[in-house]
Amino acid sequence: MTTTDKPGTDKPGTGQPSRPAPTHGAQAPGGTLAPEQMQPDHQESTSAERLDGQTQGQMHTQIMSLNVGPQHPSTHGVLRLVVDMDGEDVVKVTPHMGYLHTGFEKTFENRTYQQGVTYAPRTDYLHCFGHELAYVLSVEKLLGADVPERATTVRVILHELGRIHSHLVFVGTGLLDLGALTPFFYAFREKEALQDLFEAVCGYRMNQGYFRVGGLSRDIPADWPARVSAFLDQMERGVTEYATLFAQNPIFLDRARGVGVIPPNVAIDLGLTGPNLRASGVPLDHRKDNPYCGYESYDFNVITSPDGDSLARFNMRLLEFGESIKIVRQGLKRLKPGPVKDPNRKISLPPRPELETSMEAVIHHFKLVTEGFHPPLGEVYVPVESARGEVGYYIVSDGGSMPYRVKIRAPSFVNLQALEYACVGVQFADLITILATIDPVLGDVDR
Amino acid sequence: MDPLNPAAKPMGREGAAQSSASAAPAVTPAPAAPSRDVSPLIRELGLTEDHAAEPTALVTPDDLLRVAQALRERGFMLMDTVGLDYSTYPERRPARFAVLHNIYHPRDHRRVFLRVWLDDGQSLPSLYPVWRAANYLEREVYDLIGVPFTGHPDLRKILTPDDLEGHPLRKDFPLGETPTLFRDGRFLDPAAFRAGLTGQTGGLTGYRGELRRGQGEDRTPPVMPAGGPK
Repeated sequence: MTTTDKPGTDKPGTGQPSRPAPTHGAQAPGGTLAPEQMQPDHQESTSAERLDGQTQGQMHTQIMSLNVGPQHPSTHGVLRLVVDMDGEDVVKVTPHMGYLHTGFEKTFENRTYQQGVTYAPRTDYLHCFGHELAYVLSVEKLLGADVPERATTVRVILHELGRIHSHLVFVGTGLLDLGALTPFFYAFREKEALQDLFEAVCGYRMNQGYFRVGGLSRDIPADWPARVSAFLDQMERGVTEYATLFAQNPIFLDRARGVGVIPPNVAIDLGLTGPNLRASGVPLDHRKDNPYCGYESYDFNVITSPDGDSLARFNMRLLEFGESIKIVRQGLKRLKPGPVKDPNRKISLPPRPELETSMEAVIHHFKLVTEGFHPPLGEVYVPVESARGEVGYYIVSDGGSMPYRVKIRAPSFVNLQALEYACVGVQFADLITILATIDPVLGDVDR
Repeated sequence: MDPLNPAAKPMGREGAAQSSASAAPAVTPAPAAPSRDVSPLIRELGLTEDHAAEPTALVTPDDLLRVAQALRERGFMLMDTVGLDYSTYPERRPARFAVLHNIYHPRDHRRVFLRVWLDDGQSLPSLYPVWRAANYLEREVYDLIGVPFTGHPDLRKILTPDDLEGHPLRKDFPLGETPTLFRDGRFLDPAAFRAGLTGQTGGLTGYRGELRRGQGEDRTPPVMPAGGPK
């Protein structure tokens, strides 16, 4: 910050531009300078602060507003933050979101239930299967659909692989925000391998849309379980590498430890869920607490940490890799040949070969594709634990083939409220750390 | 804290003291099955239970703050706020709008929905004084459904553009072929929008995309020159 030079007001040669001599509060109470001593851009400071060299007092400057985003790499999407700063210290953060708002909830109301599967993964594009699963589970609850065992197991495997995918991006880009470039390449090496697996199973690397109401769109390829198994071995080695890359790095520890502490009562007050809540010491995990897809029969641990700081949130994800790998391994062991769709022809499309021979199958196919099924009247909500927290679709049915109303419980949207709390009083560089560890996906925030 | 060893629970400076009982990863035991039935709770709060698939209690707007406060004291958290417009619902409903607060207990895992019926223009007391989570959630309902919340410290639009008129998730919000209205006479004309998408005009942004549509300089197909690539 510079001051306007006025000839005669500076003491030449002192090297202190425009700073009045220490007056030790001799003038007006509170240390206000006499009017004749004030510069045009004079900034108030108390007498104690004018003794800064002796008291280590902090110099008060004007509150400055800094605009971060909407196009900023460390906002992980399109988020605009207006940061009010006193020097380097953050006084207030005002997030402005909605740049990615495309009205998914309105779109759901004008598409059939089955078409909704296309939109669900596009909200949280890093853990697509979390949203997809929450959506199809809600619709299945409305319909009372009967999902075959094999489809449920594949869903669990993909749900956990999606969690690994999301956490990989978290580790890579989160550390990138802190200035560590290398982990990004390590994490994206595994992410690419994982996306190849997604592509093998449904043709899409992101925004898969692979689940169907009542099962899966098609069976998995024959060699897929073996490929997943090989990937898990690679992933285990990878997790060790990420940990050695930065877990003991003093620069990383300095920047993450004790930064942005969210105590458990505040976390609950702010509605945090997922790893952010568990990092604050509340062991809430819907896979354990409200099991869906048979999670109660899988053996895994819910990781918590009492710290609630950024370091805890980082390590939370790192340790959750291990739990997800465990679940996927168990899922692979359970894969038995069998159907992957609800046999009910009023819900699932008939197998393609039958269309050649059966008029009944053609009629069912035509009705499902053009009109879709009609769930009974009702309102349902099924919570699912995604990589970011509780995802749930509150679906209201009016008996038609399109939902009457769909409300997405988006964890990133609620978690983002912690930013305003955790960032007050920290330095600006810490704001980046906190934003990275809260891990919002802006598609999920804006929907 | 040792991420190298996944068997070690992350611990802070005072973490060792806090978690001496569980040095291994915090294994949440299989739920000891405290009843998740919220009917006794709903009766205890003096509310009537709604007939729905999810446990729902009916609350009047005047009673909402008291009920929320009572739930908060029992350790519940606010998960979500759902705004609903029933104006085209086939069955008769007590009022046009409903706001549902999705309340969850993070320790004993009970979930209850508080349903408040209200008419157009009627406002609702904000739950921000009870749970700060209500901040964005109520702003979203205000923005998309148009329910005003009294006592909210910062009730502004949150997702839609500042100059968009109306509340998109109301059932009477124009959709599709109707111009989308913004303030100061700005609007999106559907015909112009579609023409922009199909490449007939420059569209809203002026981006013509000739190259991609094969109307520009690269109109000739990429044919291999005679004698192989040069």
